[in-house]
Amino acid sequence: MANPLKTEVIRLYKNLLYLGREYPQGAAYFRQRLKSAFMKNKDVTDPEKIKQLVARGDHVIKELEALYFLRKYRAMKKRYYEPEK
Amino acid sequence: MAARVLQQCVRSFARPSLRLCSNNLALRVTAAPAAAVHRPLSFAADSRRTRWLVQSRIPSVGVLCRQYGDLPPLTLETIKERVMYVLKLYDKINPEKLQTSSHFMKDLGLDSLDQVEIIMAMEDEFGFEIPDAEAEKLMTPEEIVQYVADKKDVYE
Repeated sequence: MANPLKTEVIRLYKNLLYLGREYPQGAAYFRQRLKSAFMKNKDVTDPEKIKQLVARGDHVIKELEALYFLRKYRAMKKRYYEPEK
Repeated sequence: MAARVLQQCVRSFARPSLRLCSNNLALRVTAAPAAAVHRPLSFAADSRRTRWLVQSRIPSVGVLCRQYGDLPPLTLETIKERVMYVLKLYDKINPEKLQTSSHFMKDLGLDSLDQVEIIMAMEDEFGFEIPDAEAEKLMTPEEIVQYVADKKDVYE
């Protein structure tokens, strides 16, 4: 592998794709957005900048996880508790 | 005298049977219109039932061994078929340009991210994970077939 950062980027892309399968607006929508987000930065060559972008991607992963967790929590609450008035 | 007795006997024998016959005939005649009315429906139902029976009988005779929900064994040919099928369904690949030897980037004009997506689709199709270090070397359908065959112990 020419660039060790490439594996990082690929790994990030793969993880985000897996997470995007359950995206509320659909996997196809997510895939499109993800692709364009990655393509927007395809010309970045500075290692520092790439690291920064990968860190941002990891942050997005955390956000997505939180989103799914919240969705799950809301669904459970709706099923098990009376709606509050 | 004897002849008359015999004749009577024959007649008495013949008459009930004749009557029975005629009765039967009459019965049949009266029943026939009703049957004719019902025939289309009942006939259809009958034929369906027999067809269904025939259909259900053939597999039960043919498949006596238990399958245990297992897939048929993989061969190089079936792996290749499945790989090509998955690739044809991928929206960025033109199915007409696709060959077993075509390079994803050089011939089909994909980028490395599309290739990652293809490898993920293959992981889903064959149900095992392909590590990143090996995934990046798989650049043609042929190589994917070879790799899957190696991992699944298919030799021919």
